[in-house]
Amino acid sequence: MPEEEGGESLIHVAIAAEDLFVIGPLHFTNSMVGALLASAVLLLGAWWFRRRTSLVPGRMISALELPIELMGGIVSTSSTRWRGYIGLILGFFLMILVANWIGLLPGVGTIGITHVDATGHETLVPVVRPASADLNFTLGLAIVAFVMFVYWGIKANGAGGYAKELIGEPRYMAPLMFPINLISEFSRLISLSMRLFGNVFAGEVLLATMIALAPIIIPAVFLGLEVLFGFVQALVFALLAMTYIGTAIAEHHGSHAEGSGDGDAHPGDPQHHEPSVAPTHA
Amino acid sequence: MDSNLAAGLAMGLGAIGPGIGLGIAVSKAMEALGRNPEASGAIFVPYILGIALAEAIGIYALVVSLLLIFVVA
Repeated sequence: MPEEEGGESLIHVAIAAEDLFVIGPLHFTNSMVGALLASAVLLLGAWWFRRRTSLVPGRMISALELPIELMGGIVSTSSTRWRGYIGLILGFFLMILVANWIGLLPGVGTIGITHVDATGHETLVPVVRPASADLNFTLGLAIVAFVMFVYWGIKANGAGGYAKELIGEPRYMAPLMFPINLISEFSRLISLSMRLFGNVFAGEVLLATMIALAPIIIPAVFLGLEVLFGFVQALVFALLAMTYIGTAIAEHHGSHAEGSGDGDAHPGDPQHHEPSVAPTHA
Repeated sequence: MDSNLAAGLAMGLGAIGPGIGLGIAVSKAMEALGRNPEASGAIFVPYILGIALAEAIGIYALVVSLLLIFVVA
């Protein structure tokens, strides 16, 4: 916060992740601790899951399988070629879910290192910050999703097909439509990353505010709400990535995607381009 | 001071539109569910995507107000 008038404010809000220590050019921030923690939880979970696997799953295994089953059910109905990208989508989902929920553990925002700056102002730098409350993390995930759906789109329709998609249908409208389509491609990157970051960061600020205002029972309600939001945001990110990849793959196959193989795209077929023409009238 | 006021206005005004949009989306989804409970699986994914896209507008307002507080001020 800029210029707190002398007194310490009750709520500590930092929009950027804070440095814990610096090794050369690498600033080791507290959100990196959160990301490493989330990866460790997922790796250990996977290892434990592997070891305990059996035909008749126990209660714990069944509980862990629930979100995976939910996502798997949704992804496998999204497109006929879901096997190619289900691993990526489930990876997004689990990583974001764990990264979001790590922020709700007790002690995450409160245990920290006291840092005294040049003016003698004391601030507490938390050791762990949930990774998805850092724009770098969410932007990284969004770049992975972006690169993958462009890659799959080019693989499915060819570079020419992808360029045709960007240019739009009436060829003479290209000077107008090409920049618009290009911007709309990149706006997916921005909106994917900003949505996740904004939600999780706003959730952190909301919790901090509520704990500062009414420390006893009220924050529990908001903690429950944040558990729900963490789940919904992980779901939303994974589903949007899935939809983008699904449309990129199926663009030129139209309604009869299940019947046709890879080779027979319909480059000259005008009625398959209806959706890309529609924005001109808006 | 000025930018704090601007941030509050940006967030408050920016929340109106997404709020209305989310209300419409949720009410229509519930209506559809009430009419045809078996369709819950088919409604779920478009519903989540729709509310995510409506909510993104609110998040843009949040980003603007965060920029006003932390960057401009």
